[in-house]
Amino acid sequence: MAIAVKTEHLTKTFQHIMHKEPVNAVSDLSIEVQEGEIFGFLGPNGAGKTTTIKILLGLVYPTSGQAWILDKPAGDIETKRQISYLPETPYFYDYMSGIEVLDFYASLFGIDGAKKRSRIEELLKIVGLYQDRHKRLSQYSKGMLQRIGIAQALVNDPKLLILDEPTTGLDPIAHSEIRDLILKLRDEGKTVFLSSHQLSDVEMVCNRVAILNRGTLIKTGSLDELLLAGQFKIEAENLDKAMIEKLKEVSTYIDSKSNVVIIEVADGEKVNAVIDMIRPTGGRIISILPQRRSLEDLFVEIIREVNKK
Amino acid sequence: MTMLTIAKNTLGEAMRKKILNIFLLVALAMIAFAVSFASFTMREELTIIKSFGLGVIAIAGMFITVMLGVNLVPQEVERRTIYTILSKPVRRWEFLLGKFFGALATILVNLAFMAVVFLVTVAWKHQWQPEWALLKGVLMIFFQLFLLSSVALVFSIFTTPVVNFFLTAGVYIVGSLSDVTLSMSHGADKSPIVKGFYWLVHYLVPNFANFFTQNPLIHPESVIKNELLYYAQNIIYAIIYASVLLIIAILAFERKDM
Repeated sequence: MAIAVKTEHLTKTFQHIMHKEPVNAVSDLSIEVQEGEIFGFLGPNGAGKTTTIKILLGLVYPTSGQAWILDKPAGDIETKRQISYLPETPYFYDYMSGIEVLDFYASLFGIDGAKKRSRIEELLKIVGLYQDRHKRLSQYSKGMLQRIGIAQALVNDPKLLILDEPTTGLDPIAHSEIRDLILKLRDEGKTVFLSSHQLSDVEMVCNRVAILNRGTLIKTGSLDELLLAGQFKIEAENLDKAMIEKLKEVSTYIDSKSNVVIIEVADGEKVNAVIDMIRPTGGRIISILPQRRSLEDLFVEIIREVNKK
Repeated sequence: MTMLTIAKNTLGEAMRKKILNIFLLVALAMIAFAVSFASFTMREELTIIKSFGLGVIAIAGMFITVMLGVNLVPQEVERRTIYTILSKPVRRWEFLLGKFFGALATILVNLAFMAVVFLVTVAWKHQWQPEWALLKGVLMIFFQLFLLSSVALVFSIFTTPVVNFFLTAGVYIVGSLSDVTLSMSHGADKSPIVKGFYWLVHYLVPNFANFFTQNPLIHPESVIKNELLYYAQNIIYAIIYASVLLIIAILAFERKDM
């Protein structure tokens, strides 16, 4: 599968006039996003997410390292025909109406005539702003502005979408609509590079994620790899006290308050060991479930651990 | 095409800016107010109305140009509209020139409004005989503002709008006093450093004074021998000087982190 986004040892250092020490906004960042993936780009505020996105779009130049979008160096003008970007809390010319804003952005792609009109109409319907298309943007709510932002990001039918906090400020209905729209884009084979603080959204829609902290990549991988983390939960019954004591040696946690004992183990090998211990004594295994952490738990744990160092 | 789209948008937005509308309305009212000048002979009265009208157009045009020019690019960065535009297939120089030509179109529209009211005011006092020759004065003001807006654009790449406002206004004032800087660069009683400084200022700062061709009250002794050549020289000067400034602005903008 082709690579949609790639960075190699990407570093961006800002030297502020008032500070002696330069600030590393992004440090030695190497990531790869495959075409067709929904890639979650995570990190606390100031982690370097927006700077990385700006480098990918050619808005900021890296101090060292390289970045590619759809196999072309970041900032390549022809590649920009195939990509789109929604900035965090976007602002558009508020003297324009919804339809005029989309007309403006379509013109920047050289789309015109009947094709432009039908595309704009289609997009206004997709984001649910068709009724409000002639209203000035100054009369739009925050959620409506976010929707028009998504519409402008889709105007060129892009192969790759770079979305920076696309659900910020949306009410729960609009929020879930945007999430569904991202899933629909994935089904259409589009690549989405999603920077977000909404970890539940990321967990729901992304295939892979990268977690950044203070400009450095802390972890990257598929959600399954990161969240399954090898732990299992075993439920068993008919276990005597001696057996429970023995099981404590191989498990990470045991709950024996009820007749059904819950045993948590760190990996698959320990599962086999537990089975081998229980079955000869007449114990009965009810279930074995791989333990999946939430992305939020993983994120908080990783960031806390790194910040402790 | 892209440049045209950005220029059209810049014009559309600028024509709705309240502060610029206020400048324009005040200028239009002041030009029209000149019909009440009646305490002189007819000939004096017309001269004063013409001089006053062109003066108001130049000053209002200057304020509109500076207010527009200093915010042209910084506002797009501050509002983050530049990110959605430059992430599309828009080259940075196309964006910058689109903004510049949009500003020029705004200046032209504002000058056109003022010119119409000015011509009507003069014609009213002159038995409704239109004096088309006055448009030459407005044309020279336009090229003066064309040069001024390129100054504001260059500064806007490096400075904040507030600093830029004072820098551009300062350059305009110094450039309008080119006769003073020229005379200060001569004279036996001055040190070579002082003379050299004024010489440098005189030739480095754009000469805005040459574009004030219209004021026989202030310069009654000045007679333009070859009018066409004089206008052509000043227009070419404005175009060349502004082109150099635009090239500097583009080169700096290309390297700038947004």
